Amino acid sequence: MAFSVAMRNPALRILFRNSWALGVWLLLGALVLWYSTLIPVFGPFQITSITKNSLPLVYLAIGQAIIVISGGIDLSLGALLLLSNVIAARFMAGQPLPTVVLIALGIVAGLALLNALVGFVITLSGVPDIVVTLATGYIWSGLALWILPSPGGGTAPEMRWLFTGSPSGVGGSYWPPLLMLLIPGALVAIWSRTTRVGLSLYAVGSNKTAAQLAGLDVRRAKIVAYGIGGAMAGLAGLAMVALTGTGDPRFAIGANATLNSVAAVVLGGVALTGGVGNVFGVVATGVTLIMLNPILIAMRVDSNNAQVIQGVLIAGVMMFGGLVAFLRERRS
Amino acid sequence: MSSESRVVQGRAGKERSFQRWAEENPLAVLAGVFVLLFLVTSAIQPGFFSVSGVRNTLLQAAPLGILAAAQTVLMLTGGIDLSVTMIATGAAYVAANQSPNGAAIAILMGLLVGLIVGSMNGVGVAIFRVNPLIMTLAMSSILLGLFTAWTQTVLAGSTQVAPFIRLLGGGSWMGSVPYSVLVWGGVAIALIWLLRRSGWGRLIYAIGDNETAARLAGVRVWQVRLSAYMLSGVLSAIAGILLAGRTGAVDLQLAGAFLLPSVAAAVIGGTSIFGGMGGYSGTILGALILSVLNSLLTFLNVGQAIQQMVYGSIVLALAWGYASLTRRS
Repeated sequence: MAFSVAMRNPALRILFRNSWALGVWLLLGALVLWYSTLIPVFGPFQITSITKNSLPLVYLAIGQAIIVISGGIDLSLGALLLLSNVIAARFMAGQPLPTVVLIALGIVAGLALLNALVGFVITLSGVPDIVVTLATGYIWSGLALWILPSPGGGTAPEMRWLFTGSPSGVGGSYWPPLLMLLIPGALVAIWSRTTRVGLSLYAVGSNKTAAQLAGLDVRRAKIVAYGIGGAMAGLAGLAMVALTGTGDPRFAIGANATLNSVAAVVLGGVALTGGVGNVFGVVATGVTLIMLNPILIAMRVDSNNAQVIQGVLIAGVMMFGGLVAFLRERRS
Repeated sequence: MSSESRVVQGRAGKERSFQRWAEENPLAVLAGVFVLLFLVTSAIQPGFFSVSGVRNTLLQAAPLGILAAAQTVLMLTGGIDLSVTMIATGAAYVAANQSPNGAAIAILMGLLVGLIVGSMNGVGVAIFRVNPLIMTLAMSSILLGLFTAWTQTVLAGSTQVAPFIRLLGGGSWMGSVPYSVLVWGGVAIALIWLLRRSGWGRLIYAIGDNETAARLAGVRVWQVRLSAYMLSGVLSAIAGILLAGRTGAVDLQLAGAFLLPSVAAAVIGGTSIFGGMGGYSGTILGALILSVLNSLLTFLNVGQAIQQMVYGSIVLALAWGYASLTRRS
């Protein structure tokens, strides 16, 4: 009874449908509050540091979320991040601002096209997404290593300001990174829930055959999803170069980033089976995963134990989710 | 004119019959790819076409083949294990730590690590229904943290394994057949028998093909899944111990490079990542192809960047070729 009342009220209905996304935002809020009591001073510096450090993972997770919603998975996103990172670091160093902006736009557009091509290859070949992107991940990280054989390069102060809030990457205002965190997430979330193409991703992800029979272009949906994933990986690489001031082509960085993006997506309530979830929730889990580190450091946990705790938390949350689903199934 | 067209027709017919033959014998095609790669490698490095070349390829392929065995069993059930390499590393550490107590205890303790971690993965996936990708990823992160911490405390100084394990990983029987290949052969025979002939093997295929149907037919799906993850853990531990024996020393990066190749070997060998289709014989060929490819790229001496690009392209091409062969049939 209460349920049907809630369904009739549009505002409540939206809350109900996005309860998981809402939950992870509340969790993030609680974590920030808790963190502010753990350390002696909590101010703009901490907000800047948390937001700017979570940018690469959040962008990658948004891209992964769109791809997972459309029924795929992309294990090459981390390698694309490397590629974007090294191209930016190699060609932006010492250039005037217009050139830097042009390079940044070129990277985002180029990686979008590149990954859209991967999406096309997946639809054309009939090889599972996970296998194709596993292979292309090797290709992109090889390419990254070829472009920048050892860590180095740089970027323009304006780029650093855009993603970190200060031209030198240290301290600064928290508005630029906060806006860069929220705007892409909100744009992709609204786009995926309101436009024709965005909704077709949900349709294709939840049932490919039904979507095709209903007249949707399954191939286009997949290509669009992978294109957006590529663009977000491009942004993530730019954020990385702005954060660190250099490019780094190491394979392990890409592999870790990919795995973290999958973890953020699943914890954010996007089902790996496709068709379910909200991109905006993924933004919160991306920040949460990054925030665990300073929290555990503030609690004086050493970094190895912090890694163990992070793993236990991820597994624990998912086990809890599985248990809830199981109990609900039994009751019905 | 007419004779010419007949010739063309005959050639087309021959091509079609080759295609049909390839569709029916995908393993023979894979074996052909392996032989081709082996010959190309021999053309670049003349010394490779010899008993020692074959021996080296097998020695390289054994740990990868065993890790890919773990991956194959799980992929048949629709799962995957991203913690195989950390289990292997952990087992190698514990085996090194127990080596002063004798090789038998060292090996047993190593295998025990695999069994315990595999069971934990299995409980998460089979009972709590956590997505296997996430469960094993989290487990891998937990193991990395634990073993990094333990190498400074309880496992400090445990970097050397017992002489018997070193013999097992790098030594040869009668000077030509590496012991690790004998171990791999034993694993392969047991696994192929289990998958093809035992009831357990049938259930593995059944729950990978259609879990609901298997459950309705009375299969206790969670038990089968749990046993598959336990087996995966033990197989990973075996691979880790062999690797430790081959390199002689243990470190945290011991098995790290094998994670993606272990998945790729199973996929190239024709095991479906969605479950229910494939087998271990294909995976063996996949592991052999990847190791000979590795030797080829090492001999070419083109640098790591080109090496990664070529590796990725060939894995993609093989998977694409296999998919287009089997889809038509």
